[in-house]
Formats: sequence, C-alpha cells, structure tokens
Amino acid sequence: MTAPRLFRGLMAAAIALPLALLGACGGDDDSSNSGKTELTFFWWGGEARAKLTEQALALYTQKHPGVTFKTTWQANQGYFDKLATLTAGDGAPDIFQIDDNYLAEYATRNVTEDLTKYQDSGKLDVTKFPESLWKYGVVGDKLAGLAMGENTQGLVFNKTKLEAAGQELPKTGMSWADFITWAQRAGAATGTAGTMDPSADYKAFWVWLRQNGKDFYTGNQLGFAKEDVQKWFELWKGARDAKATPTADVIHEGNATDITKQLVVTGKALTSWVWANQMPDIQKNTKDELGVVAYPGDPSAQWARASMYLSVYRGSKHKDAAVDVLNFLANDPEAGKILGTDRGLPSNLDIRTSVASSTSDPSMKASIALEDELVSKFGPAPTVPPKGHATVKTELIKAAEAAQFGTADPAKAAEQFRTAAQAAISR
Amino acid sequence: MSNVAVSTRPPEPRPRSGPAAHQRRGRPTRHRDDGRAGYVFLTPWLLGFAAITAIPMLMSLYLSFTNYDILTPWSDVEWIGLKNYERMFGDDPAYWHAVKVTLIFAFIATPLKLGAALGVALLLNRSFRGSGLFRGLFYLPSLLGGSVALAMVWHSLFDRGGSVNAVLGWFGVEGRAWVNDPDTALGTLILLAVWQFGAPMVIFLAGLKQVPTELYEAAEVDGAGNLRRFLSVTLPMLSPVIFFNLVLETIHGFQGFTSAFVLSGGTGGPVDSTLMYTLYLYIRGFANYEMGYASAMAWVFLITIGLVTVVLFRTGRFWVHYSDGDD
Repeated sequence: MTAPRLFRGLMAAAIALPLALLGACGGDDDSSNSGKTELTFFWWGGEARAKLTEQALALYTQKHPGVTFKTTWQANQGYFDKLATLTAGDGAPDIFQIDDNYLAEYATRNVTEDLTKYQDSGKLDVTKFPESLWKYGVVGDKLAGLAMGENTQGLVFNKTKLEAAGQELPKTGMSWADFITWAQRAGAATGTAGTMDPSADYKAFWVWLRQNGKDFYTGNQLGFAKEDVQKWFELWKGARDAKATPTADVIHEGNATDITKQLVVTGKALTSWVWANQMPDIQKNTKDELGVVAYPGDPSAQWARASMYLSVYRGSKHKDAAVDVLNFLANDPEAGKILGTDRGLPSNLDIRTSVASSTSDPSMKASIALEDELVSKFGPAPTVPPKGHATVKTELIKAAEAAQFGTADPAKAAEQFRTAAQAAISR
Repeated sequence: MSNVAVSTRPPEPRPRSGPAAHQRRGRPTRHRDDGRAGYVFLTPWLLGFAAITAIPMLMSLYLSFTNYDILTPWSDVEWIGLKNYERMFGDDPAYWHAVKVTLIFAFIATPLKLGAALGVALLLNRSFRGSGLFRGLFYLPSLLGGSVALAMVWHSLFDRGGSVNAVLGWFGVEGRAWVNDPDTALGTLILLAVWQFGAPMVIFLAGLKQVPTELYEAAEVDGAGNLRRFLSVTLPMLSPVIFFNLVLETIHGFQGFTSAFVLSGGTGGPVDSTLMYTLYLYIRGFANYEMGYASAMAWVFLITIGLVTVVLFRTGRFWVHYSDGDD
C-alpha cells in the first residue's frame, strides 16, 4: 500500500467511525419491531420522589410488559438548563416534568405535544380533575401539559416558637396591615423576625394584585402598572422599617427558591411564603412544628394551581404510549396511592379523597386541610404565565432587592421592574 | 540552558546523519510524504479540534446573527443581522453593568493576585527547613481551582454567621453579611481569586531560580541594597515571567464564572453586584432562552480578550526584558 492510499484509508476510517457511532445513537427507535418500547422520562425532585416515581412506573411495566422506562432525575437547579439542551439536540425525553414557569416557553415553541386529541378520544382522561386545574395546562388553545398535582400559595409559620412566646398564630383572611402588625409584635416577642419580606416573590405579589382587582398577566400582557409595583414595594418598606422583617441581606438568602434556604427553615424568620404542597418537605428540614395558612388578604384571590405537569415531547416516536403512561399516573388508583401528594394534591379528585384519608404525615395533612378549606373560596385560575415569565420572576427579585438594600427607592425600583418585565414578555 | 523560563531562541537544528539522510538525498519525492504522514498522525487531534472547538465556534458565530432560542429547531431560526449586537451596545443597560463588574473584577483581582504570587515566591525562594512544605501549602488553593465546593466554603466563611465575622468579633469589629451585601459581594469574589495565587507563584518561583546569582553578586559589589537589587536585577530578569503571568491571569480574570455563579446562586445578585460577563451570558442563554444574543455576547467577549492580549503584547515591548542566554 502506498502512502497516499494509506492516508486516504485512514481519513475514510476517521470520518466513517464517528458517523457510524452517530448513526448508532439515533437508531434505537422504530427499527425494533419486537413490540418493546422504551420511554425516556425526566423529572426534577429529591430521592423520595424518585423512589415513588420508579415504583409507579414499575407497576405500569408490570401491567404492560411491552413498555419499559429509562428514567433520569435531578435537583431543580439546572433541570431546565438540561431540558433545554436536550431539546436543542432533538433529544428531549418522551415524557418530562415541567411547571407553569416554563410551560408557555415550551408550548409556544411547539416542543410539547398538544394533548387535546387524546383528551377528545378519551385516551387521556381528565373528567375527574377539577376543571380549572386541567385548564391550567392549556396554552393558547393547546393542552400542553397534564397537571400532576394541585397546590396553592401557603404561608408557613413556626408554631413552636410562636406558642412558646405566647403569641397568637396567623389566620387565613387577616388583612395585610394586620399581618404586618402581627409580624412586628411576634418578632419582638420571640426575638426572631416576624416574617420573610415577600416583595421579591412573584406569587405573593400576584395574590396581592388579584386582591386589588389587577392580575400579574392578562393574556400575554402585564396586568399591572408601575404604580401597583410601587405600592407593593412601599408596603414592605414600611414593614422593614417597622422591623417586622429581617434585614436586607437575610431577605436575600430567603429569596433563593431552595426549600432549605427558606427563613422558616433556617430559623431567621417566623413565616415563609411558599406553595402549600412544599409543607411536608419544609417540615422535614426543621425540628420546630410548623403550620400553614393562606396568604394575607381575601383568600379568594388564590387559585388551584397545577404544581407541575407532565408533558409529552412532540418529537417523540412513542407519543401514544407516553400519553397512556400519563393517563395511568394520573388516574390509576394504585399508582395514585404510590405517588401520594409528592407532586401536589392528586389531580384526580377520587384519588385525592382516598389519599387524604389514608395519609398519616401531619404536615401533609395540614397542607391538605388548607386546600380543602380554600377549595370553596378559590377564585378563577389565571391563564398560564406567558413566555418570558422566568425572566420576569428574576427581574422582580432584582428590583425588590434594590429597594430592600436601598440602592433604589420603591418608585425607581418599580419603574425598573415594569420596564424589564415588559421587555421580557415582548421578546 | 537559557536564563529564563520563557526563551525566544529557536531550537537548534538536529544534525542529520545516518541512513535516513542518505535515503532522502537519493529519493527527493519522499519529502512530501513525510508531511502527509504527519497529518495522518494529527488526525485524531484535528478531528477533535474541528468537532468540539472549530465547528461549534463557527456555529455560534452564525447564531449570533439569529434569534436562536434553543427550543426552536435550527430550521426555523431567523436571520436578524446585527440586531443582537445593536441591542447589546445600545439597548441593554444590564450588559454594560456586567462589563463594568467584570472590568472591576479583572483589574483589581489580577494585579493583587500577581502581587501576592510574587511576594510569596520571593519569600519562598530561599532554602529553609520546610520550604517545600510551604510551597505545597501555598499552591494548594490553586489545585482546587474554580471548584464549586470552594465557592460554597467561601460563602459560609463570609456569611453573617461565618468564621470571618467571628474572627473580626475578637477585635471588636462588627461584621456584616459580606456575600449577601451588594457593597461587599464582589469584594469577596476578588479575595477568593487573589487567594488562589498558587499557579502564578510556582511560575514565579521557577523564574526566580533562573536569575543568575552572579548578577546579585555583581550588584552587591557595586553597593546595591536589597531594594535596589530587587528593582534592578530581579524585576528585569523576571519580566518575561511576569509578562507571561500577566497575560494568563488577565484572561483568567475576565473569564471568572464559577465563584460568581455559586456565590450568587446563579443570579449575579444581590442587586447584580456579582453579575460577571460570563454569568450574564449564561443567564441570557439558558435562563432567558436568548441563545442568539448569548452567542453575540460570546463573540464580543472573545474579540475583546483578543484585543486586550494584543495591547498587553504591544506594551510588553517597553518593559519586558529578554536576556540572551550567555551560558
């Protein structure tokens, strides 16, 4: 063999080898006619959720031996980076977990399969769901995600410390002014700041807006004016000045979404602003006994929110099989029993009743009790936040922190947030 | 052996002899084949370079002229010309804020780090019992590099209830939440960068060992004191090493990401005080799904670093002294 021919041969091998490997990566789908289907499934969460999900999926495989699962899970931080990257490479999982912060981002770009036709044909059964709950998975006119649980805003408080100091406990329906006065008094009595300052928290701002006849979004537009933001920031500036909240640097710690960083967990405040279904997880991270009530003001401003969804990738090769799994996880009584309230209160009301009556975890009971109490009071659900919502959330944190640290006054911070939020949803 | 670590002298050609040389003379065509064989051996590297460096870079250059958002398939990506660049320069205050934060970080952290590295290298450049141990210890922080764990440790050290405040408390100084305060958060990042001076220190140490002792002896005979010897002998002889470290650490300084990401939980907070350029780029690309914009940012970044490096090389002519080896 002469040298040039050798060279050519090597080049050919060098080029052909990676191509062959690439081909192998993409070749694992329809070519197999043996009736075996492997579905990829991706979610965020902790070990407990992983265990429950694996168990429920194993049950599905037991009933449908032809379908197996390749599961991947990780913590919430970085989850959406990975999901986006997988989607970019056309390698999104067949089934993935998603929440209302991102649902519109994915749905408007047609990453998620429109489940409406499965709903129409009865392959995806949502008849046992509260109507507002499954509708909270509709983006535009497409059913982009199946609500896998329900939750609502919850104000978690430290019962142990409050009772030890002889303070009354917060109640659903107290006004914002009363709540701040309470926080000030309770803080003085216990030596721990009365409440986390939620001015950077979109869900608290949202409830407050709805109580004032506004909304966070109306359709794809912002539902509030600069003046509303300013009033909100001023409300909490008053609370900080009255020492009802901790100092700005501590509030900054509490602005992280991590459950373990919540001030009621770290012991730096008596109350934290969370989702009611996070209650059991929060309770696990502290020795003090916790309680949960609705956010201050009229509780009818709160709504039954889908805590998270499962969506099917539009590019999936096994959409029918994937939808059947969704249907199973949401409606099968056995699967419902396994999954419990880990992803929120079960969407299927029959399953919800049976799970609620059989649970023994007191914090789970407390969050179920709150939802039960509020269910009759819930207002209509808003539309799913539009594309750009994730950016709007971080812009609110930025502006609120500027007001908290005093680098901007409430008026200027409000202006800054309104402008940035407008820019974010207009892209 | 030349005097300094960085030598500009080309290697001397190896004398040709033996059968190979004879053969070559006899068959001149063989010469070209040798070159080809070279490329064949380079193929694995070239393929890797193309697949994971060159092609992705060119793709990002293309994407910087589009509205690519990660989630939309490539086929639907829209060409928007220079819009990303126009927005960056004219319509994005956060961008300029990130530039400012990065410049402050790079221009404070780099000289301090080099100063610390040189200072400690001078102290360690003598033999005393345990000098090897000390060299190892001072180098240790650099081994940990830009690690996440280190940034987390830093976070807890400089938190309100952290050890730094405890130590300050002994002296009656009231601490603060250094990492959670917009006035001091960047300062803690700079301190973390400076603390990791081990890599340039080791290079300085190597450079110091290369300075011929005759020069010091001669200077001493001429009556030069410690300071004089440092300024007139050590610094000029060390200038190529200083230059090398300066270029490397400046680039490094511009690229700071991990510590800012971890200390701020990926937000650049509090109030954007740690919003480094690369962190902002990441936020644009992965949190806001504006990958086209992020690609444009990356290219401006690359070109800027290139220009800074060119400027450093230009100024280097005036103060970097390459001694010709007089061995």
